[in-house]
Amino acid sequence: MSETTSKSIREDLTQRDELSLYTRIANNPRPFFKWAVPMLVLIAVEFPTYAGVAFGMLDAVVIGVTGLLDAAIGLVSSGLSQTIRDAQYAVVGVLRDAGGFVDGLPTLFSREVIPNQGYQTGPNGPWEGTFLGLEPAYAWALRATLIFAYALFTAYWVFRGWLVYRDHYREADWTPTDDIVDNLSNHQWGKFGIFVLILFLTMAVFGSALGPTTVEQNIQSPYSERINYFNEDTGEVDQVFPGDANFNSKSKGSAEFNVGPMSYDDYGRFHPFGTLTNGRDLFTFMMGGARITMIVSALAIGGAALIAAVFSMFSAYYSGRVDLTILTTADGVVSIPRLLLLILVSAVFANHWIGNVLNGGFLLAIIFAFTTWPFLWRAVRGPALQVAQEEWILAAKSYGQQPRTIMRKHMFPYIVGYLLVYASMSTGGIIIGLAALSFLGNGLGISPPTPAWGRAISMGQDYVSGPSWHISLLPGLMIVLLVTGLNALGDGIRDAIDPEAGGSAEGEEAAAGGGG
Amino acid sequence: MSSETHADPTAGDTEPILTVENLQTAFYTDRETIRAVDSISFDVKRGETVGIVGESGSGKSVTARSIMGLIDSPGRIMPGSSIKFQGQELTELSDAEYRSVRGSGIGMVFQDPQQSLNPVYTVGNQIRESLKINRGITGEEAVEEATDLLEAVGIPDAKRRLDEYPHQFSGGMRQRAVIAMMLACDPDFLICDEPTTALDVTIQAQILDLLKDLQEERNLSILFITHDMGVIADIADRVNVMYAGQIVEQAPVEELFANPKHPYTRALIDSIPGEHSRKEGLETIEGEVPTPNEPADHCRFAPRCPKAFDACENVPPQHVSVSDEHDHTAACLLYPEDLTESHRVEKHLSLANDDTEGDT
Repeated sequence: MSETTSKSIREDLTQRDELSLYTRIANNPRPFFKWAVPMLVLIAVEFPTYAGVAFGMLDAVVIGVTGLLDAAIGLVSSGLSQTIRDAQYAVVGVLRDAGGFVDGLPTLFSREVIPNQGYQTGPNGPWEGTFLGLEPAYAWALRATLIFAYALFTAYWVFRGWLVYRDHYREADWTPTDDIVDNLSNHQWGKFGIFVLILFLTMAVFGSALGPTTVEQNIQSPYSERINYFNEDTGEVDQVFPGDANFNSKSKGSAEFNVGPMSYDDYGRFHPFGTLTNGRDLFTFMMGGARITMIVSALAIGGAALIAAVFSMFSAYYSGRVDLTILTTADGVVSIPRLLLLILVSAVFANHWIGNVLNGGFLLAIIFAFTTWPFLWRAVRGPALQVAQEEWILAAKSYGQQPRTIMRKHMFPYIVGYLLVYASMSTGGIIIGLAALSFLGNGLGISPPTPAWGRAISMGQDYVSGPSWHISLLPGLMIVLLVTGLNALGDGIRDAIDPEAGGSAEGEEAAAGGGG
Repeated sequence: MSSETHADPTAGDTEPILTVENLQTAFYTDRETIRAVDSISFDVKRGETVGIVGESGSGKSVTARSIMGLIDSPGRIMPGSSIKFQGQELTELSDAEYRSVRGSGIGMVFQDPQQSLNPVYTVGNQIRESLKINRGITGEEAVEEATDLLEAVGIPDAKRRLDEYPHQFSGGMRQRAVIAMMLACDPDFLICDEPTTALDVTIQAQILDLLKDLQEERNLSILFITHDMGVIADIADRVNVMYAGQIVEQAPVEELFANPKHPYTRALIDSIPGEHSRKEGLETIEGEVPTPNEPADHCRFAPRCPKAFDACENVPPQHVSVSDEHDHTAACLLYPEDLTESHRVEKHLSLANDDTEGDT
């Protein structure tokens, strides 16, 4: 009898536990819908953009992975590698079709909705083809502002989703994540880092809508389609290829050949950052470069962090000979001069198609991942060794847990913080390395004409002290901003995961920064 | 002997559940080889509690870890060692086979409850993890079972506490939770490595009572490791006294406290604070446990022993019976007491030679 009462009491108490997240939401749907409906709208208005990015990345990953498999298996069996290539063509075909389809779908903040490319009908006449007849500069500024505002708000709304989950649907009253988030939200420098990261991610995702013109029209195939402009000499509206217009809009460091920041060229085209030495729009160039930079550095740091995490846990868990082997390997990798390796690999794969995946970025990402992991591994090995000594690891072993699960469940959570700190700081080094390669040019770095930040800097180096100062300075400042932001983010995470920081932003004695 | 006929066949003087024979665990460092556990033998019967007592550094925990197969490099269990658990030779098992013995066969409770629970997971999560691995229980059933286990170890409001983190538990509660986590494996044999050392005295008593109750309910065999003679007196049925990697005396618990034979055991018992210490001041053992980095060709306690004589430095003492009624042995050149000194030394020498010949 007493058993049944205790059972019913327990059922009362357990009720909360038996509910899935779905039921918990169904029981109290208001907060969820108040969050989810705006979120859906936010996603829906720019869905084709996100889908396009997703398809593009999938495409690159499929080509990259199958390419590596192909190269590896090709050594053994050419028949099998042919099968892989066939599979790759099929998958990539489907992905490109899907990508092409979503590309055609309308988005809210597109250049079709808020166009900025137009032409004047007279010397001081109204603008034709721009949004509400605004001047191109204002139309562009409006669109760019809206996109940044949208992106920041979306990022906030995603965070807000987590808050809603925490306040209304999570079973635990408190988890360690709460403290980390609270610490980070009180950390001004860290928040600056997050802001910068969101800014550059926005550039990478919305790059084609942010620029006053497109990479396609202005840089990659400037002779495929004519644009209208008001010809002051003839007083009429004429047509010109963007390539020809570029030819006459060069920034060459002299007063007559210069289109500086925030100015128009002779063809009524607005250049927020001015033009390059070949007359192309620098801002568009930078936006195009942002995407490839972010993708390559994300791939590189992701790969490096993955290898470092796995190896450091192996080192710590098995120690002894395994640790020594990894240590030797890491030291071996560190002793290879990175730049020489990059030059070597770029030369070897110059005519191989894998050198063209992501315009050469995939290969670079692999090399950067390969040369960066030892540094991350070293940084994370210490904490991993510390965790491996903890008694709960021994306790987990003593009840028969698998090594794999022990590493994933009981060790990984402790090193992930350190990994984030060092990864965000090392990313700066990778970005700078990437820019350095493009700066050197000559077949290194991202292959032209795909925009790369370093190439812009390289182009402008002769004109640094002249009217065309913008060519080198602005891309340089952007790189500095991004790298600083990533370091700030690393600092912020470092202080946030340190339980002894107690919410204060002072963490001088904690891990010192790397990379950069 | 009539008790044997109607007693539980698994209880009492049946086959030992664990037999350790000639266990040697050594740690290889660049400078020296440390024989942390040097040729020890003992057994544990079903439903029995066997204590291992000794100072810090005497090799108690290494013994426990050797049984669990948790000796990491640079440590190694030497060939010739034998650990038999339920008839199965553990030293020959592969990693995967050992994993199946850990938990469901042998469970282990560690010294510091603060450390043996992972602070980033709730207590319930960790108990369920153990349930999943060892008994394949998941989902709601696991929540139910975890609640039962927490109740079984005497944690009130078990349901709610499953969702709490280790830091929200007090020290004693945490040790109870650790015990619950080990019970979740449903082991036949529990190794308690100083489970009460980090707790204050009243909580110690509660945990000891809990272990006794659980032992009775589940017919658990327990290997209880501690440096606290008081705790050993309370919980153990039989005691092994360890010193510098060796067992120096083995006896049933009452016999050991009534008639300690080995000078080390005597010194240990004398150094328990009590009536006599109030008048004369507490007895202590001078010096400290030596690092066992040399082969055992002498008595390791000799430098600290008040009764040491010349032969102690040269002759390895062997276990000899020191009681007629009880199963009581001591490894000391002072025994057997009825022989003269030279005869005793000779006896130990010949026993030692038999032993080494048997090994090779």
